[in-house]
Amino acid sequence: MELSIDRLTKHFGRKIAVDCVSAALTPGVYGLLGANGAGKTTLMRMLCAILEPTSGEVRLDGKDVVTMGEAYRDVLGYLPQDFGYYPSYTAAEFLSYIAALKGIPRDAAGKKVQKLLHMLDLEAVADKKIKTFSGGMKQRVGIAQALLNDPQVLILDEPTSGLDPKERVRLRNLLSEYAGNKIVILSTHIVSDVEAIADQVFIMNAGRFIAHGTVQELAQQVRGKVWELTVPREKARLWQEDFTVANYRHEGEDVVLRIISEEAPDPAATACEPILDDAYLYHFGAKEA
Amino acid sequence: MELFALEHKRLWRTPRVLICVALCFFYCIIYTTLISFQWTYFGSEGEDSTNLYSNHLDGYSMIRTYKARSDTYGDYWTDETLQKLVKDFQTIEPHSPLSSMYDWTVGSSALKLYEELQDPENQKYQPLIRYVDTTKLTDFYQRRADDLNVNIVMNQQNLLLTDEDVETLREMDSRIKTPWRYEWTRGWEKMLTGSLPLLSRMAPYLAIVLGFLFSGEWHNSTAPLLHTTRYGWKKLARVKVLSGFAFAVELYLLIAGGTVLLQLIYLGTDGWDMPIQMIKIHAVAPWNMLQAELYELAFAFLGVVGYAGIVMLMSALVKSNVLSLVFSLAFIYVPGLFISYLPIWLQDASQFLPMVGSPTDIFRMNFFHIFGKGIWLPWMSITIPVLLGLACVPFAILKWSRRERV
Repeated sequence: MELSIDRLTKHFGRKIAVDCVSAALTPGVYGLLGANGAGKTTLMRMLCAILEPTSGEVRLDGKDVVTMGEAYRDVLGYLPQDFGYYPSYTAAEFLSYIAALKGIPRDAAGKKVQKLLHMLDLEAVADKKIKTFSGGMKQRVGIAQALLNDPQVLILDEPTSGLDPKERVRLRNLLSEYAGNKIVILSTHIVSDVEAIADQVFIMNAGRFIAHGTVQELAQQVRGKVWELTVPREKARLWQEDFTVANYRHEGEDVVLRIISEEAPDPAATACEPILDDAYLYHFGAKEA
Repeated sequence: MELFALEHKRLWRTPRVLICVALCFFYCIIYTTLISFQWTYFGSEGEDSTNLYSNHLDGYSMIRTYKARSDTYGDYWTDETLQKLVKDFQTIEPHSPLSSMYDWTVGSSALKLYEELQDPENQKYQPLIRYVDTTKLTDFYQRRADDLNVNIVMNQQNLLLTDEDVETLREMDSRIKTPWRYEWTRGWEKMLTGSLPLLSRMAPYLAIVLGFLFSGEWHNSTAPLLHTTRYGWKKLARVKVLSGFAFAVELYLLIAGGTVLLQLIYLGTDGWDMPIQMIKIHAVAPWNMLQAELYELAFAFLGVVGYAGIVMLMSALVKSNVLSLVFSLAFIYVPGLFISYLPIWLQDASQFLPMVGSPTDIFRMNFFHIFGKGIWLPWMSITIPVLLGLACVPFAILKWSRRERV
């Protein structure tokens, strides 16, 4: 199975939201990293075939997803960024309704709903109205509905927003377990979410993929550009103004700064092992990120 | 079918819908029908005769009293019927409670046929009815035929009726059975010119419920989610439209059924075979009360279905609930606001919008000409609104099941 994105472009008037993006996605987990407004949601909506691209196309195994229509939606699971629900519905009722829309037979839907409620720790509140749920619980209902039809292509837009750390870890584990021979795409601006589970990461800015690769490959791209420097506390602010500072750690009266820079910011700075956060900051800069 | 059941159930479970249905029921059944039957319309007159709300709460028993009184005047409407009615009335003291026993519904138009009763100053018959020589109240059917002719000629000039239209009107009139059957008429008059035309007041409630059918999915942010499900495009749109129509029909059945039930309880079925000329003497339709009621019920039903189609299109065209509601309501209320500024042909056309026209057109003589063929207005009033509404359905489905451009 291959989901190919071919020169996908979207203009909103004179604004270019997605600019000639191409990629070929095979089974695995893909992380889409980018600041707010980078074009992630627009790209995801085009991948789901609900937003008409200005040009370019998305193909699943060589077939245009738009012309595939129902056949594509049958293998698609989607969690939109602003997940909407029916306030007067209970979690179980909402999932049953979406299951019917996904064409899952009633008996199979009932079992699937129960299984997902259990998986996402919603069993205890299955018969409570969604409007009484916390943000994290609503988000879990959203994830459950995306998984209802065992989608071959799972697209999750900001799935971890509103989740507490424990829930985020649970979701990561769930997605890792689920991925197998499926294509899972998740967009986020939280680096640690994709760092833990993504096989491939795309960094997006101004509607373009500005870097992509595995977590290690992206980190290696900034090897020799990540430095640690110990400075007096009173001078730390000056360094922050001049450089992209990835981390700021107190050590006694001093501060240890993790600086992203093409060259050593100071003779006393020492090169250190890069991580994905560094690569992200390298591309965006601390303020933009 | 399962999807339809779920969608239909979802529609009914929305608190807004339940509130709307309750309000519609209260307004159409309790306020405008039950209260008027028992109190304001049929209740006996209270101390302040100018204030209907001072009437007594005795409509049910008064209706039976009115009926019993009118039964003493025989089954058929003849000169003798009118003479006896007027003579009896003249024996009653003015302002006596007994005077309210007289049903002048039929008289109000029939009495205008008699020159002897016309007050030259204000053309009213009431002041003279107490003094008229009842033996002069003769030739009722001939007077009616003459008066109808005058009216047809007037309509011919005002409405540009062709000779063929006039012929059709006369043919319709010639099919009315005479002598007319006579019974107590106010009950039927209340139904045919009051309660049943009021069914068009269901429109705002339909707009509030169905106006959110598609736009509500954008409002709830559920549209992107639904659009990515297997059946979330055309099938869901079809199911939504179907459940919208089902809701409209159910609301109609609730309100029309409730109105008819109250009619049966309060008025019974007596007089169903009276001609509608007992309500308006110039009417030419050869219909009895039951046929007229069936027409008005069908008019309301088809209007409701037609309006439902238009509201659903509005809902699919915009993503905002407020805009959808405003457009849906504007559709029925704006033409009325600007009607006098519109060209005549547009004024005429506006009455074919669903829930805008009136079922009481069955009492009128208007003709319309479509491709040279003269068609009596009520036939167009009953068909065009529903056709307009049904024509909106494919566009609503198409709009919902189209990929977003922006």
